[in-house]
Amino acid sequence: MVEIEKSSSPTAVSPASGESNEEKPNQPSEIILPIKRKRNLPGMPDPDAEVIALSPKTLLAKNRFVCEICNKGFQRDQNLQLHRRGHNLPWKLRQRSVKEVRKRVYVCPEPTCIHHGPSRALGDLTGIKKHFCRKHGEKKYKCERCSKKYAVQSDCKAHMKTCGTREYRCDCGTLFSRRDSFITHRAFCDALGQETARSSEPPADEVAEAAGSPPPPPPLTPSAGVLSPVLSIQSSELPENHTVHLPQPSAAGALSTSVATPITTTPAAATTATTAVSSSSTTSSDHCGVFTSIFNASTSAELSHSPPQMASYSSPLCSMAGLDRPTIDPMSLSLSSSLYGASSLFPTTSHYTSSTQPAISATALLQKAAQMGATSSDSSFLRGLGLALPSSSDPQDNASIMVSTTSSTPLYWNNDVKLENNSMASGLGLGLPSGGSSGYNELMMSQSTLFGDKPATFDFLGLGMGSGEASSAGFSVFLNSMDGALDMGNTTFGSGGDTWDDPSDRKPSML
Amino acid sequence: MKAELRQNPASTLFATPQNSNISSTLTLGGPLSNLDGACIEKLLLHCANALENNDVTLAQQVMWVLNNVASSVGDPNQRLASYFLRALISRASRLCPTTLNFNNATSDIHHRLMSVTELAGYVDLIPWHRFGFCASNSAILKATQGFSKIHVLDFSITHCMQWPTFIDALSKGPERAPSLRISVLSWRPLVPPLVNVSIEDIGLRLSSFAKIKDVPFQFSVIEVGMSTIPQECDFNYDLLLRQLNPSTLKLRDDEALVVNCQNWLRYLPDEHFDSSYLQNDSCRDSFLDRIKSLNPCVVTVVDEDCDLGASNGLGSRISTCFNYLWIPFDALETFMPKNSTQRIEFEVDVGHKIENVIGFEGIQRIERLESCIKFSQRMGSKGFFSLPFCEETKKEVKLLLDEHASGWGMKKDEDMLILTWKGHNSIYASVWVPNREYRENSIQIEFLT
Repeated sequence: MVEIEKSSSPTAVSPASGESNEEKPNQPSEIILPIKRKRNLPGMPDPDAEVIALSPKTLLAKNRFVCEICNKGFQRDQNLQLHRRGHNLPWKLRQRSVKEVRKRVYVCPEPTCIHHGPSRALGDLTGIKKHFCRKHGEKKYKCERCSKKYAVQSDCKAHMKTCGTREYRCDCGTLFSRRDSFITHRAFCDALGQETARSSEPPADEVAEAAGSPPPPPPLTPSAGVLSPVLSIQSSELPENHTVHLPQPSAAGALSTSVATPITTTPAAATTATTAVSSSSTTSSDHCGVFTSIFNASTSAELSHSPPQMASYSSPLCSMAGLDRPTIDPMSLSLSSSLYGASSLFPTTSHYTSSTQPAISATALLQKAAQMGATSSDSSFLRGLGLALPSSSDPQDNASIMVSTTSSTPLYWNNDVKLENNSMASGLGLGLPSGGSSGYNELMMSQSTLFGDKPATFDFLGLGMGSGEASSAGFSVFLNSMDGALDMGNTTFGSGGDTWDDPSDRKPSML
Repeated sequence: MKAELRQNPASTLFATPQNSNISSTLTLGGPLSNLDGACIEKLLLHCANALENNDVTLAQQVMWVLNNVASSVGDPNQRLASYFLRALISRASRLCPTTLNFNNATSDIHHRLMSVTELAGYVDLIPWHRFGFCASNSAILKATQGFSKIHVLDFSITHCMQWPTFIDALSKGPERAPSLRISVLSWRPLVPPLVNVSIEDIGLRLSSFAKIKDVPFQFSVIEVGMSTIPQECDFNYDLLLRQLNPSTLKLRDDEALVVNCQNWLRYLPDEHFDSSYLQNDSCRDSFLDRIKSLNPCVVTVVDEDCDLGASNGLGSRISTCFNYLWIPFDALETFMPKNSTQRIEFEVDVGHKIENVIGFEGIQRIERLESCIKFSQRMGSKGFFSLPFCEETKKEVKLLLDEHASGWGMKKDEDMLILTWKGHNSIYASVWVPNREYRENSIQIEFLT
């Protein structure tokens, strides 16, 4: 007997015979969803596999096979059968099926979970059980040493094996639990300078070696100091390229004068110089000597560098640095504020009142969006939704990934372009050759009032672009701002949470 | 459902507000909170189809919905959705792909430069990179046993993060360590992770590290003439390929030549662009020919197991990409808090890849991932023979994975090792030799030891 369980999976459900032991009272409730899929379905380990959805009760059940005599519980039916023999009860051991068993994959019953969809199914039963416990179960097991909590007992045991047993400490003070990360860090750590001063290296220098290691090196280590001239040379000696603003190592400041070697770009010299490094490194035991010898060698063979490729990346950044961080106005917020009046879908900045969100289905949202779009004629989709982008927006408002207002227009947009009607569907510029401007004109909606005193901007989804002279820089600014919304470096993304609140404050979990 | 979308002119779906086709088409029942990955994927496809059909209205509407769903500090699905949405918008707003080459665009997008120590931590966050390092290093050690000189041609995007553990392993051998020479190109694809120091500086640090470990060491940078100024990058791989010759590389007869391709091949174009040098072969194939002609002792290739090649259309790329890149998002979710800086930075970098895959076409779409099966066939057709990984390597990789979250696993496919997350393929590692004799010798040695 198989219970059919309500599942929110969109695929069709057809009841089929479930697991074995139909005669047992404790039936696992399950649905088997035969899914016909074409091959090459991305993310699907085996397209022909049977997708099985077990209930939470089943997944969490520890001992679902229970002996009727003594009520002892077993995880596996086989074990119960063997136990029944001890009671002199009739027992039945299932033979392993001879015919090819179809591969089974399991999905998580929790609808918000990433493994709920069949394309994220897990391949084995133990895996899905453990996953369910870990993710949706309570953490009942605790490590004694560090009080880390686990939902699955084997995880806890595995952790306790390594907890606190091995520790690697770098001279800079960072602690590592894994040797390979320790080694990699150490190779590039600025504290390396101290090591080379030692004549020989004790082999067991790594394990929990707080004792015996020198105090954290002063910022101005020779190595870091000597390295920086390399950087500063590149920045000062290559003016025909762009200014290079390399963040200097903290040591850098003082020791920027030791080298005066001109740098040219000669491929051959590069390898000569680096071989000079190696040859000198084998002869010189003094660390400082290694590096000074580089530069000595370079006075004869010009130390050549092509402009450091990473450094050159920073130059466009610097050129952009002058640009204001474009303001970003969360489109969704403005839209939602108009849709729902005082309440907004996602409580964010002080611009918008925060309140609990109504449960809105995606369908309803789409319909609403369609309504807005269909009824407005000359005005844009956004205007119809009551989008009110202030002309001066908040700086660094990074809630939405979409909206930004900038001060320049991209190259192709002329003033006063209008969107005639919304059903106009022409070139979005996807893969368009340079004749894109005409297509784009149609895209653009005239928003002269929408954006305050800025005349016609494009506005596809409120990714505001102000007016101004067309310049390709404008476009790049736009792209920059797009990225700015997501970028950790410049925005208060995630930390401080000035826009998106912690998801727990919002509607129930998305997943 | 995909078929449905293609056949219905999208605009008619929204002709009337009362039209309830939406719900049936998209099968989105229930409150927004129940949007799972499959649903988001459908929305993305819906949007992409709208864009391809030039239906601006529909595209906007779907994007609006997606925007309400997406959040880069939410759950993995939301985070993924936010980067995908961003890529779609960026695609939609791109006017003129030919004048805006990808490098140009990204140069204006803020690129985070890490310090080398930050990068060292970055590559160890999840085994995404470390798996490849570990497997390759172990295979290289095995293949170069007995040689007193090793020369590694390193093609990678991780700024030599692979080599400290290799140097360390060399130093721990029973006899005197062999001498090591590492050659890198002066250019690398303009993709994350990026660092704030030059490759020469990295070489210097490796040198000093090797010195401590008593491993004779040399570092060379091979000039390949590709501009590091993003606006000027013309994707001209001619010089790069031409420089791969014994004299420029200063190859020596007594050294074991190792070619290490780490997350590299996918950046070599697979189609035939306008290039005088590459007459018949694509850049990727020519590169492999070049490598083979150098007669290396061993070639290690590590890359992402996903099919995002030239011929895939947008919809297929969205699906494939979505169903692949959820892996790092999910993995990070297991042990890092939602607002962790490190986690977000890692995800932004993945977002960069998504942006390139979804947002660009033609030569600017530099992320041309290839599945391990196809790659394996390609190597075979180029005359390479695969080597299996030895048991020791597999054990080492297993140990590595044990130290990470328990969802990481490993499996074998032919001779390749594949890193899996909850059973799904993520990264593959493989070892190749240019001729059959090498293979037979290696297997014999393995058998005897």
